[in-house]
Order: sequence, then structure tokens, then C-alpha cells
Amino acid sequence: MEGYKKIIKKLLFFNEPKKMERFVLKETSSKENRTEDSAENNAEKDKQYRARRRKEPGGIRKIDRGTDESSKKEKEIQKEDENKRKDSEVSVYLSHNLTSMKRLYNIPMNGDVVIREFDIILKDRAVGAFIIFFDGMTDRKVINNNILQPLMMLSSLEIKKAEEDIAEYIKKQILPHNQMKEFTSYRKIMDEVNFGGCAIFVDGIAKAFTGDVKGWEHRGVERPNTELVIRGPQEGFTETIRTNTALIRKRLKDEDLICQNFEIGERSNTPCSMMYIKDIANESLVEEVAKRLKSLKVDYLSDSGELEQFIEDSSFLPAPQIIATERPDRVATALTEGRVAVIMHGSPFVLIMPITAEDMVKSPEDNYVRFPYGNLFRLIRYFGIALSLLLPGLYIAITNYHQEMIPTDLLFSIEAAREMVPFPSVIEILIMEIAFELIREAGIRIPGPIGPTLGIIGALILGQAAVAANIVSPVLIIIVAVTGIGSFAAPNFSLAFSFRILRFAFIIIGAMAGFLGITTGLFIYGMWLVSAKSFGVPFLVPFGPKTANAFTDSILRAPIWKQERRPDYLNPKDDRRQAPISRGWMDNGSKGEDEDEQ
Amino acid sequence: MKKPLSSIVRTIIIFAMLCITLTGCYDSREIDDMAYIVAIGLDTGKTNKLMMTLQLVVPPKIKGGDGGGGGDAEEGSQIITLEAPTIYSGLNMANNFISRQINLSHTKVLVFSEEFARNGIADLVIALPKGREFRPTVNILVAKGTAVDYIKSVKPELEGNPAKYYELNNISHLHTGFTADTMFHNFYIQSKSLSIQPVATLAGVSKYKSPEDLSLADSTYKDKGRPAPLEGDFKAGSLPKSGSVQSEIMGLAVFDRGKMVGELDGEQTMGYLMVRGKFNKAYVTMPDPIEKERFVILNIRQARKPNKNIKMVNDKPVIDIRIMLEGDITVIQSGINYESPEKMSILERGYEEFIKKGVSDFLVMTSKDFQSDICGLGSGMKKKFLTWDQWKDFKWLSRYKEATFNVSVDVKIRRPGLTIRSSPITSTEGEIYAR
Amino acid sequence: MSSKIIFGKWEGTVLLINLICTQIILGFPRVMTEMAGTAAWITIIYVSVIMLVAFWLISKLYSRFEGMDIIDISQIAGGGILRVITGLVMTAYIMYIISIVLREFAEDMKVIILPESPISFVTLFFVAGMIVGAYLGLEAIVRLGAIFIPLITIGFLFITIGVSPYYDMANLFPVLGAGPEKIFGEGFFRISIFSAASILFFIAPYIRTNRNFKIVGYASILISSCLFLWSVLSYIMVFPYTVSIENFLPIYQMARLINYGRFFQRVESVFVFIWAATALLYLSGAFYFIIHIFRKTFKLEYEKPLIAPFAILIFNISLLPPNLATAIQLEEEYFRKYIWIVTIVFPIIVLSIANISQKRKKGERKGEKAVE
Repeated sequence: MEGYKKIIKKLLFFNEPKKMERFVLKETSSKENRTEDSAENNAEKDKQYRARRRKEPGGIRKIDRGTDESSKKEKEIQKEDENKRKDSEVSVYLSHNLTSMKRLYNIPMNGDVVIREFDIILKDRAVGAFIIFFDGMTDRKVINNNILQPLMMLSSLEIKKAEEDIAEYIKKQILPHNQMKEFTSYRKIMDEVNFGGCAIFVDGIAKAFTGDVKGWEHRGVERPNTELVIRGPQEGFTETIRTNTALIRKRLKDEDLICQNFEIGERSNTPCSMMYIKDIANESLVEEVAKRLKSLKVDYLSDSGELEQFIEDSSFLPAPQIIATERPDRVATALTEGRVAVIMHGSPFVLIMPITAEDMVKSPEDNYVRFPYGNLFRLIRYFGIALSLLLPGLYIAITNYHQEMIPTDLLFSIEAAREMVPFPSVIEILIMEIAFELIREAGIRIPGPIGPTLGIIGALILGQAAVAANIVSPVLIIIVAVTGIGSFAAPNFSLAFSFRILRFAFIIIGAMAGFLGITTGLFIYGMWLVSAKSFGVPFLVPFGPKTANAFTDSILRAPIWKQERRPDYLNPKDDRRQAPISRGWMDNGSKGEDEDEQ
Repeated sequence: MKKPLSSIVRTIIIFAMLCITLTGCYDSREIDDMAYIVAIGLDTGKTNKLMMTLQLVVPPKIKGGDGGGGGDAEEGSQIITLEAPTIYSGLNMANNFISRQINLSHTKVLVFSEEFARNGIADLVIALPKGREFRPTVNILVAKGTAVDYIKSVKPELEGNPAKYYELNNISHLHTGFTADTMFHNFYIQSKSLSIQPVATLAGVSKYKSPEDLSLADSTYKDKGRPAPLEGDFKAGSLPKSGSVQSEIMGLAVFDRGKMVGELDGEQTMGYLMVRGKFNKAYVTMPDPIEKERFVILNIRQARKPNKNIKMVNDKPVIDIRIMLEGDITVIQSGINYESPEKMSILERGYEEFIKKGVSDFLVMTSKDFQSDICGLGSGMKKKFLTWDQWKDFKWLSRYKEATFNVSVDVKIRRPGLTIRSSPITSTEGEIYAR
Repeated sequence: MSSKIIFGKWEGTVLLINLICTQIILGFPRVMTEMAGTAAWITIIYVSVIMLVAFWLISKLYSRFEGMDIIDISQIAGGGILRVITGLVMTAYIMYIISIVLREFAEDMKVIILPESPISFVTLFFVAGMIVGAYLGLEAIVRLGAIFIPLITIGFLFITIGVSPYYDMANLFPVLGAGPEKIFGEGFFRISIFSAASILFFIAPYIRTNRNFKIVGYASILISSCLFLWSVLSYIMVFPYTVSIENFLPIYQMARLINYGRFFQRVESVFVFIWAATALLYLSGAFYFIIHIFRKTFKLEYEKPLIAPFAILIFNISLLPPNLATAIQLEEEYFRKYIWIVTIVFPIIVLSIANISQKRKKGERKGEKAVE
């Protein structure tokens, strides 16, 4: 009875709403200090930002985390050390180190940091020590076998030399691990631990040892997803930087191949490498790339795409100035021409710079197949790329302004097809293009194996239905389909994208003034490209500024034994990459044979 | 927060510029908003100077593809006739009742009626080049009869639409030799030239409705003194044929001073082409040199351009023309072994005489009867003068009527076809065709 | 900025060829046949020879002033006053011709493809291209030209060779056409067709060496005269004398005749590309030079602010002639007959004055040295 009463009460009478606090994102204290955007303020902010940077010597982020009871004691000890140094150096006392580490790593809030305390047993005493590392980033077996085991169990073996210095002893004799370093600064120790290392603190030694025990889960070397070739290697980059540099190095076994390391991002500390061949690449180019990489002041970098946007010359140019590739063979080829590659940890795309317009329409397969086929591919590709940019615009221009150009029979069939369609041609084509783009965009995200198939079927059915409903004419379906196929012919993803945008501009300008509009559009686009530079190299070289010896590989490819020089616009240190007669066997049985016979 | 002035100004400018895109498309015309005229016919009007006939193409009925089996070719085009003072006024009037805008860029032929041509088409010819839609590659035809009848009779069986019919017709001279390339560009240039006069193709509607009506009344074979007509002895409209295709072209109309002054039949047209050097190839039939009742046919083509020499003797032009032809034997009805080198020269001589007579008669006709230099023989004269004014004062066109011609023809037979001799046909009474 | 721009011989030659030969697609063949009848090609050969001689003279006078443009030379010659006069004269000349040519191009486009658009709409397209070109600088214009102009030339040759079925050699006779007085007498004034070669004086600082200057000059004059000759020859062969003086757009009419079979006909709209590209390159090049000369004359520091006012000025001037016939008359009768005085004689005078003053200065210096 009581229950029923309650239910009726609930249903019939007014119920006061329960008081619930909704979550509101409050402003933090730093926001109250935000001032207007002006030059002096920018300089001020820059200074503040820089002060927070951990790259400064002894710079540890000092952000108020609020106080809590348990940390009061630590604060006292902290103040003590602060008087002496800036609390940035390893102290001799293990307990100090332990508390510092716990504070800096926010233990116990931070759950995946592991601190293991143990004793090192030396000849006559036991020394306290602890090891700190991130679980999941490190290889447990290596820590167990190569670090903990020798320190804990094997340290009591006979000492071979008379070692007074425990630190030296530990490092040189007891720790059989292939990469050990010793540091005194907390900053550097934390950097190592953050990236999958372990730090060993020993009581009584004002140094800490760090070892590289990286062992996280990662994807293995697979086929590249975006650039597929039929004839050519099928390896692609992964997300681990060392794997990537290794993939390049195993192709170019050259001691002059330099791999310079940077760390980009204040918080993410993403390791990046810049690779180049020292006695080919132009020095000023290398310096410029290094300068741009070092000067970035950002918090996080997620992918090499973001890095590309940060270091490229012009963000608004409708053509990329840096190539991102997944193939190690392509990077290796670029390096041998004198370019520079930038690899970022966490991204399987490697950036190559500088590039010109002709590099964007080349595919590595042109070089691997024979001369006639490579050139055939190129011609088809140029045609496809030109179509993907201009075909809808030309169609609109011809059917709206220049009807006399169409052969009479074709004209009548187009006219018959368009008879029932209620829209003007421009609107038709815009509808179809937008529909096509929608299908493409949606098709990326459809899960599983249905994805690509659904995209194609969707396009076909949509097109068929649209024709049957007399919304578009069949000729237009063909045009849009050919345009789409042509855009897939572009080997560079970025270029295909930019053409997708420009195509709309050309449709509109073609609808405004026919061929005159298209020519003006091409003129303006050409002017824009011609005055653009990519890392100091004019974009349309070797057509723009005419350079010498540049035509062996630009429009059509000369046979491989003719490509004797490196591209001139890169100004490499060493110009020649093949001897004048690179095929020794053609040299009519000269010295080589004689020596053999002897 | 106040936006600085520059960004406000920037936004205004961008919007203003975007408005420009809205004003565009003045000339943009959809394909299906236009009516395409394929043929224009001009006659003397009853109520006004000009009676215009326009042939429009109607696309949906041509297509006839899915549904409604096979478009009726008869309804593939629409024919409209109206009267107006000039061509463009007529087009203006037509725009009022044809729903779509008239577009002349696909016009293939311009047909004048014979009466109209004889009265003079000079003012029309001058007016046409100004319009940009009217193309210089349009073919000029003169219809024996009225232009309306000719255009109405064009109902092509083999093609889907009249446009293709006209286009193919215009180039048929390349393999028949009975018409010539009479594009408007050539017509116009020749009308204004001091050394050549224009021609137009003759077109006509077949007179004969059924095979019983066929007659040779209009053939020119009698004027040439032949016992029976060869295939070139007809003009358009009088070809002895009947059938569903009523329209025909054959022969040329000769003009002088913008007026039509005469006609040429098929064989004379071939002579015109040979003298001008524009002869491509054709089948030429001739009575056999030895057995006069049977025929020989040769596939003749121009070997080289003809040599022309012109000089003034006693103030009268004397023109020497040497025509060089070569041919392949197609038919020898008599079975005589002309393919052999000994007899071949007989055939060659026969053809040379035959063609020489045809060409000479043709040239004399142009000089005496028409007094119009359509072959452009005056250009040889032009080279002898130094300045334009001297040439102009020479007045070649008025001297043409006093010209005399010496024609020589050179025929070389190259190939005998598939058979190199004919064996006799046997019968109970002995062999026939045995030579 | 000017010190950083260098371009090579190819680019300089191509720029000049474009500036000189744009007239071919306007009304040049017709004007020539109007004047000299069927002997127009003789006039061209005659005029080219005279131009080459004049250029030889100029390059000799130029040899002292390597790498300097004529504004600097006039400064040396007569001080600030002469510099301002030269600058203003040159600016006025280029502005006159660019406004008229802009009007003619827009009218051509209207006749060919856009009969119903208002003239300002069509002019706007060209002006937009012009402004972009001037904004992005001479280097961009020249580089784009180096890519496009060979293609344009090939297109032009294609048109003139594509009508070869219509050639009639007899149209070239009588040989001396309108008579020797007209050919050589009046023909002399036609040296103005090379008037755009005076731009060569302004690109001297970019071409750097004297040797390059000479090569660029001779090459561009030779190639331009070959193109002129060929265009007039093919035009006369297709359209005989009395008809040839009627055509408003000679090359367009030739393109209309191209007729290869049923498929490849009526394709003259493709040649709109060639027209429009030539027009845009010419306009942006000439416009850049206006601004450049103006800036150098008055020793201003920045070029970019000058773009907007000059563009508006040129746009308005181009709309001044009330009809096309007046515009053509302005170009052909007044301009093409007398402008050679401005572009060839005037620089020669300036150069001679500069040479004399240089010699005098050197003589004084030598005299001083001898005294010491």
C-alpha cells in the first residue's frame, strides 16, 4: 500500500527537482591575467612562455598544484635543498631523491610509474637504491635480467679491480646493458624516463644512471597504405622513429648519412630527426631546415602533418611545398639527390624538402620500370591530372559559351539528354561534384570491407537514379566520374586535394566567361605558383627560371644511364651522380676484361 | 572588442567583389535553350524581297533510343518558311515564334533558288560575313526549282539527322567528281577577285516519282553528240532515278557579276575540277576505242596539278593547259586485252581524246556562252604585272571572252585491277570475248 | 627588389617577343596589306633591316653604360630634368598603347565569344590579370612567359599552317603590290611596329652584361620579324588583296577556316586560349613597366601602392574611345606611324648626349691626370 501511495504521489503531484551540481569549466588563475593582443604583450608572453620551458638549465615547471597535508614535510625538505641548489640536481641522499621523484611524477596519482626499491650488495655493505620507470613503455625482461639481476644478485661477485668509486664500479662492471648514461640533473633524468628509459638512484652517489630499455607495443613494418607500386619494394614506415631511421639507413649504407636529432614540443617532447647526406646536401639548406625546426614554440605535435604546416613557406599556396611519403625507398632517393628528410616520432609519414612542381607528379615506379613504360605512365598521369583540374570547367565553358565547337551529332545528343533536366548546367555540375565529394568523404569512414565497395556502388546507384529522375544528364555523370578517376591518378595526395578545391573555382570562372575566364584563371594560378618558393627553390623550376641540364627527368624521363647529374636547383655540393659512361660493359671490353684475364 | 578599421574595410571589399560573380554569365546560354538551324533556303518572295526557309533539328525525336521504337526520320527536322526583307530580319521574326533562340553556328548549307540567283545575290553576299555565327565553311547551293522544295525533300534514310547528310554531301565531290567544293569562303573571295569568278553547286529535287516515269528529256547528251548518255550528262534534278531519297546534287551554277549566268552538268564539272587542279578521283566511262558499243571504265585521279601557260597574242589571250592524270582499269566490257602494254596505249590515247574534247568544250562554253572565268586562268596573267594598279587596269575579266584554248591531256594507266587479262567465255557457237 | 631580379637571355628574349608580337593577333596583317597590297611582306623585310641597323647603332651607344637603364642614362646625360622628361615620355607612351590595346582586346573578345557582356565586364578580366601580374613582380611575369610563350607561338603556327589547304600562291602577285613609293616611302614609318623593343632599355639592369643585351636585342628583333613576315605571308595567301583589307581580326578569320573532316572543325574557340594568354602576359608586362618607370623617374621607394591608381586610370582611359573604329584609328594611324620617333629616335638622342658628356668627363679626367 505504501508503495502504491508513493507511486501515485510521484505521478500526480509536483516533485521538486533534486539539486545537482552540473559541471562547469572554471577559469584557472592564469586566465585572469590575460591581456590584449599587442606587440609588447606578445613579447611579454613570449618571455613568460620561454620561462616555462624546461629546456632552460634547471628549468622545472613550477605550477601551483595546490597544497595538501602530506606534502608539507616534503616542502620543508624542498626548501632546504632550494637554498643550496635549485632542486634540480641529484642529491646524495637517497631519501631526498625518492621524495623528489615522487613529487615530480605525481605519485601516487600517476598510476603507471613504478618505483622499485632494492639493495645493492657490495663487498662489505649493502647500498640502498631504487629504480623508476614507466610500466608499458619499458621492456620488463631487460630490466629484470640486465639491470635488477646484476645489481641485486651478481654484485657480490668478486670485484676484479680495486674500485673505490662505487659509481664507476656500478656503471662499468655491474650493469651489463648496452646503453647506460649518467646524469646529475633531474631534467635530463626525467626526459630519459619519459621516453621509455629507467633511472637508477644509488644511495651515496650524487649521480643517477639511466638506461634505454624501450619496449612498447608498436606496429610492425607493413606495406605502405597510400603509395602502392607494382614493381618496387613494399616496405613502409612505422610510428617508431628508430625503426624508420633504420629503414633508411639500411638502404644508404653511407657514413656521411647524418641523422640529427631534435626535440619539438614543450610538453610532448617529440623526438624528430633530420637526415641528409653531408657531402651532397647544400649546407645552407640544412641550416635553414634546422633553424625552422628548432624555432618552433608549441606544446604538442601530434603528427608530421602538423609539423609540415609549421615549417612550410606559405600556408595558403594551393600546392604543397613538402612531400610526405610512407616509402623508405622514396626517401632514400630524395636524399641521394641532395634533399633533406625530417622524421617525426609517432607518424609514419616522413617529410621531404625542398620540392618543386615536377616532384609532385612523379611516382617512384617511373624509375623502377623500363624507359618506355615509365614515360607512358607519366603521360597518362599528366593527362589525368590535367583532366581532374580542368574538365568540368571546360565542359561548362564549351556547352554554355562555345557551342559551335561541338561536332553537330554530339551536340544533338547532349541536347537531347539535357532536355528533361530542370537545372542549368552549372547547378547540375555543382550538385554532382558535391555529391561525389560527399561520397568520398563518407566512404573513408564506413567500417570494414564494406567501405570502398559501398562507395563505388553508392556512386553508381546514385548516378543512375539521378539520371532516371532527370536531375542530371548522363553526360555529366561521365564527366564527374572521369574527373574523379583523374584525381586518383595524382601520386601526391596533397596535390589531388588542392585540385579538388581549385576545380570548383574553375567551374565558377568558366561559367562566368567561358574560355576567357578559364585562361585568366590559369594565368593567375600560374603566376601564383611561379612566384612561390619551397625552401628557397622556385616552385616551377626548371620551366620557371630555366636551369641547365634539368630536362632529363622533368616532363619525360630519359633512360637511366643518361641521368648523370643531380637536379641543379638544389645546388648540391657534388653535382654528378653517375660517371659519363655509367654502363661499364658498354665500354667495348677495355681494362676490366684485361685485368680479369690476367 | 572593436574590430580595427582595416578588417572591416577588408570584409566590405571582399563582399563587393563577390557580387561581381553574381553579375556574370551574360553570354551563358544552355545548349537546350537554343534552336540549331541546319539549312537556310532563300527564294524570291511574293510579298517581300526574300522568302526564307529554315530547317531546324529537333533532338528528342532523333534520339528515339529508349522507348518508342526508332525515331521517324521525317519528324527529325522542322521546316519553317517566312518572308522578310533581309536574312537577319527574317531570323528576328523567326525568333518570335520559335521558342528557343536561333543559333546559326551549325548551319551546313545555304540554298538559293535558281530564280533568285539569276536576279543577283550580290547584296546578300556582302552582308553575310559580318555575323560571327555564320561560318565561312557553309556550302552554297543553287536549287533548280525552289529552295523550299529542295530543303523539304531532304529526308535522309541513312543518317539520323539532316546535318550529317549535308556534311557528307558537301564532301562527296572528293569521290564523284560531279560537284565541287563551293564553300562560302571560296564563293566570297571569288566574287571579289579580279582573276576568277565564283561557282555554286547545283541541287535539285528528283522529278521522277516511280521507275515508269524515267526519261532522258533533260539530259545534255544530245548537245554533246552522243548516242546515249554517260553518267555525267545530267544536272541536278534530272538524274534518271526514283526512290525515297528525293534530293540530289550534281553540276555547278556559274556566276558573273553576282548573277547566275549558266549551268554545268556533271561531266563539265569534272572538266572544271581538272582545270583548277582540284580533281581528286572519279570513275570515268568512255565508249571502247575499238568496239564502240561497249564501254570501258577507268578510275582516274589527278597525277599532278595542271600546267597552265597564258600569253597575249594580238591582244587576245591564248591559254595552254596540260592536264596530267593517271588511272586504274576498272571495267573492260569488250574483253579486249587493254591490260597488256601494247594495247594499253590505245586505251590511253582514247581517254586522252575523250577528256580533251570534254574539257575543251567546257572551256569554250565558259568563254563564249558564259563569259565568266571560273577556272581562274587569269592568275597566270597576274604574275606578269608589277603593281596592283597595272593589273587592275588590264581588266582581265572582260578579255576572257576572246580567249582561245589549247588543251592537252596526259593519261597514264597504272594498274589493271585484279585480273590481268580476260579469257574468253565459251558457248556452243564458239568463244565470245576472245581477242 | 630590383637588384635581386636577374633573368637570362631566354627569358628576356621571350618577354620582348611577346611585347612586340602581340600586334599580330590584333590587326597587324590587315594594316600591312592596306598599306602595301600584296607586297606587304617586302615592307616587313625592309623595316626589319632598318631596325637591325638602328639597334646596332643603339648598342654601340649603349656600350659605355653597361647594366643601366635609360632613366639612369638620362640622369647622366642631362641631370634631373632630362630624367623626368624621359620618364614621363616613356610612361605616357606605354600608358597610351596599353589602354588602346586593352580596349582592343576586350572588343575582340566581345566579338569572338561574348557578344552580350558589357565591355567593362570583359575588360575587368584583363585588368584583374594585369594587377596580379604587377603585384607579383617582373620575375613571375617573365618566368610564366618563358613557359607559355613557346606554347603560344606553336599555337599560332598551328593556325597559320593549318589553313594550308587554302593557300593560293597566286595571291602573292603582282609582286610589287601597291607600288614602290608606298612600300618604301610609307613603309618607313612602319618601323613603329618594333616600338616595344624600347622596353629592352628598361630590362638592361636585369640582363646585366652588354653581351647579353646585344644577344637579347638581336634575337628578339630577328624572331619577331620572322613571325611578322610569316603571319603576313600566310594571311595574303589565304585572303587575296581586296578581301584582306576587310577583316577586322585576320588571324581569327584564318582560324575559322580550319576544317579537317567532320570532327575537327569550328575549333577557333580553342585559340581563345592563345589570344587571352598573350593579352594577359602583354598587359601585365607593360603595366609592370609603367609602374617601374614611374617609380624610378621620381625616385620613389615603394612600387606596390602605385598599382591601384594606375590600374584604375588605364581602365578608364581604355573606355574613352566611343567606338571601336575610333580606337583602331587611334592605334593605327596616329600611333603606329609616328611613335618610332619616341621610342627609337628619342633614346638615340639621349644616348648620344650621354655619350658626349661621358667623353667630356673622361677627357677632363684625363686632362687632370696629364696635368698631374
